[in-house]
Amino acid sequence: MAKGYDLIIVGAGPGGSVAAKTAAESGLKTLLLERSRVPGEKNVSGFGLTSKAYRDFPWLHQMELPSMRVGRKCVAHILSPPPELAERICLYSGTSRRISYQEGKEFFTVMMLRREFDEYLARQAVAAGAELRTLSLVTGLVRERGKVCGVRLEGGEEFRSPVVIGADGVLSTVARHSGLREKWRPEEVVSVCCIDFSASRERLDCVIDDATFHGFFGPGIGGNYFMCMAEGVHLGGPGVGNSLISRLKRRRIKPAKELLDTIKAPSTLNLLKAVDAVPREWQAHLLPWLDRMPTNIFGAGVMLIGDAAGLPEPIWAEGVWQAMYSGRLAAEAAKEVIDEGDTSFSSMQRYLDRLEDSPVGRDFIGGVQMRNLFELLGDPRVLGELTEMMVDLFVAMFMNGQEVHAEAMSRLLPILAENLPALLEVGRVYTPVLMEMYSQSLRDKLRLLKSVGAILSGMTSDLDQVDGDGT
Amino acid sequence: MSEELDSFDRFSLINIVPASRDFIRIEGEKCAGCGACVVICPMDLWKVREGHARLVEDYREKCMECGSCFITCEYGAIDFSYPPAGEGIIYKFA
Repeated sequence: MAKGYDLIIVGAGPGGSVAAKTAAESGLKTLLLERSRVPGEKNVSGFGLTSKAYRDFPWLHQMELPSMRVGRKCVAHILSPPPELAERICLYSGTSRRISYQEGKEFFTVMMLRREFDEYLARQAVAAGAELRTLSLVTGLVRERGKVCGVRLEGGEEFRSPVVIGADGVLSTVARHSGLREKWRPEEVVSVCCIDFSASRERLDCVIDDATFHGFFGPGIGGNYFMCMAEGVHLGGPGVGNSLISRLKRRRIKPAKELLDTIKAPSTLNLLKAVDAVPREWQAHLLPWLDRMPTNIFGAGVMLIGDAAGLPEPIWAEGVWQAMYSGRLAAEAAKEVIDEGDTSFSSMQRYLDRLEDSPVGRDFIGGVQMRNLFELLGDPRVLGELTEMMVDLFVAMFMNGQEVHAEAMSRLLPILAENLPALLEVGRVYTPVLMEMYSQSLRDKLRLLKSVGAILSGMTSDLDQVDGDGT
Repeated sequence: MSEELDSFDRFSLINIVPASRDFIRIEGEKCAGCGACVVICPMDLWKVREGHARLVEDYREKCMECGSCFITCEYGAIDFSYPPAGEGIIYKFA
């Protein structure tokens, strides 16, 4: 006889553990299954937990992990084309006072190791009452009358529950066996390689301090990033923004080779040297990277969350907060449908509706248009021109000790005029992003008006009824 | 530091419990020999020989389970599923 639960969650990553914590706190008998020995040992990411996560999950403020380093500054290095890869311009930025919530005003991200983070979250789920079972590989789903109602482990053991949540990542077994998705198409994923380095905490405190994220971009460079934790550095990339298909069609450059080549950029290499970095691990993984909010993420008795659902946002493919947020929504929906005794497709629809309305879903607004913008900015010619324009403007305005100051300053307008074609090209691709945003907020307002209209017409029909009763 | 990078050896920087069964399967007759898997594999575990994709014999000791080959193959010639519980790649510093 298969053991029974209210809810089974497949995968103890950030999404699965938050779902398990939420479900257990709401009183559901919850089983959290994980294929590895310890949650976190199968996950890869140069990981920064964004301030959004602290806004939405205030209990995270109590979390203290050895690898944590708070990122209050971000640095964008724009390099000259290969093979020189010389630093042309560097933008060093703090947080913006215009961000709408307090945590966002204070920091960008907290960098940490996923291994520590995932374990911490799984412990929270267990503390809330969820049962965690490691070394458990799900290889199939149990179905009855067209509904998913349990999972099957390798070896044949079965567990039953009216709802199953697939939190099993980009290559989700639950997605596959529930029939929601066989696999992503090559244009829907990005391939990321990382090198993890040990580094001196003292040197990091001195060289990096709280500028924990350095991005390296430039004409003809795929781009990579440098993330600094308390005593380690992650160098990731290459070419964030190259889906597998674009890599195959346009570049045909091996991802590992591209990353190793970009390390040769003097600014990257010097930074690594300055913090006494020594390579200690090589990592590779895939991320879903969709330009539209995925909708095929639930069925009768089943929901997908996080990477399994394809929720990483459309620009940087950030996915941990999305996994946590969708995990909580899915667990809340699970509690409701179980209490109502209705796990049908139409009952489960509430999960998608809420997700689409949430900040996770709204982060996909203008995704298609933003991809076009970034593609243009990644174009070696356009990026080359814009980079040199920024250098020209900066030097003319602030750094000119080489010529008569007034003469250099008077060059600003001619520089802008000269670069008008490239600027117009950017404008042409930027305008659709704005239009998409405005049309979305207009649609929201119309929807609001419609619901007000419905309430009003409901009131009038009530009045009609009153009138009718009165006569 | 720079010498260490010049001699950067991916294989010495991974930690794998070799899987006790196969987890990548190739259906040779579907393979068109396009070489997409060769380009995309971060560990260079694929070769095209005589018009067909071949996976190195000892892939269970080298594969990082990213699934790039599986996703990339548009001919459905490569199937990937996770290795058994507790086996395969183990990340210490991810």
